[in-house]
Amino acid sequence: MSCKDVNISRRDFVSKSATAAAALSIAPGVFLHTVAEAKPADQAVTSDVRWGMLIDTAKCASGCTACVSACNTENGIASHNRPRTDQQWIRKVTLRDKQTKHEISLPMMCQHCESPPCVDVCPTGASMKRADGIVLVDRHICIGCRYCMMACPYKARSFAHETVDLTVDYVPRGKGTVESCTMCVHRVDEGGTPACVEACSEAEHGAMIFGDIKNPESEISKQLVEHGGKQIRADLGLNTGVRYRGI
Amino acid sequence: MQQFQKRMHNTLITIAGLVLMTFSAFAFASPEGKPSFAPDVPHPTNGSTECVEPEDEMKKNHMNYILDQRDKTMHQGIRTKQYSLKECINCHVPKDSTARFGDDQHFCSSCHNFAGVSIDCFQCHMDRPMDKKAGYKKTLGKNPHGAQISKPVSSGIASTSTDATSTKGSKQ
Repeated sequence: MSCKDVNISRRDFVSKSATAAAALSIAPGVFLHTVAEAKPADQAVTSDVRWGMLIDTAKCASGCTACVSACNTENGIASHNRPRTDQQWIRKVTLRDKQTKHEISLPMMCQHCESPPCVDVCPTGASMKRADGIVLVDRHICIGCRYCMMACPYKARSFAHETVDLTVDYVPRGKGTVESCTMCVHRVDEGGTPACVEACSEAEHGAMIFGDIKNPESEISKQLVEHGGKQIRADLGLNTGVRYRGI
Repeated sequence: MQQFQKRMHNTLITIAGLVLMTFSAFAFASPEGKPSFAPDVPHPTNGSTECVEPEDEMKKNHMNYILDQRDKTMHQGIRTKQYSLKECINCHVPKDSTARFGDDQHFCSSCHNFAGVSIDCFQCHMDRPMDKKAGYKKTLGKNPHGAQISKPVSSGIASTSTDATSTKGSKQ
């Protein structure tokens, strides 16, 4: 699979370069606009985009779990009333400064790293990063060893201990495999926005922004340029796709 | 000599057996030419008489089409409907069907049970069409990526009086 991804044929290279050149020659704005459109269903994702999120902790309300509920509904995640082992793709975390007693609340999920440790350690290649930066588990080849869960510094992955009672057909999930936030890849591929971001917006907090961080015209890029966005555990040098403000 | 007779006897029995089997196959054949012992595979629910490829091709190679599509979708985000397992189910399993994979009435298992070929697709995939009301509603619909509706925030961080530890995670 990886060979297929990496090796780009001469014909492909020439045609893509020509398209890019043509698009650029019209006007930079036009080119950027077309990139923001949803890709056709029959085309592969490319590294021309990188999906990311910016979370403003000042807007994230303490006690609000709209993003968590939306994620669970969207992906059909149900609790078995065993909090320590239940699947969890996104969680709310409260950070409290011991000295000042100042608290901030933030959603924590897969950070969609550019150099994901989960991908490094996976013995089968099930843990993988798409060309557009979304980190996924290919459950067809996942053997459930849970190395990735140990490697992840963000505790973002869960293991399915029980048979899953599916409610949705676009997120196949099953017992014995590892799973985590997919950035709602099924929505993103058809031009949509992740459920958590929509729910946050719906709840009138607007703490989450989703978009293409490689496109300087996107809302997220503009916000990142203006306000910056910190990585959690930036010292690890993972270059996360999910960034935070106010931490 | 006795040994030769015994061998001839065995050969005759074999030939007779073969002839009988050939005739019995004809005897079981239904008017459409399908042997009556073959399973009744449910027809598409949309009334269509043609699959995405000719029927003979699908009978032999459906697994290859699905496998190829599987990797393309998973790794490259190609989400065409033609060879997707989801669309097989949407077309071949009635919405109100109570048949689940493993039952003889289910499209996939009607044949797989007969042929004795076990598959694990439905340990993760849905074996019936999805209830369209499931999932989180698309509030923003199809929008240019990142068109997050920015709304002014009335208050900053809500203060809490809980004596929490420095870090806590809450689960829904």
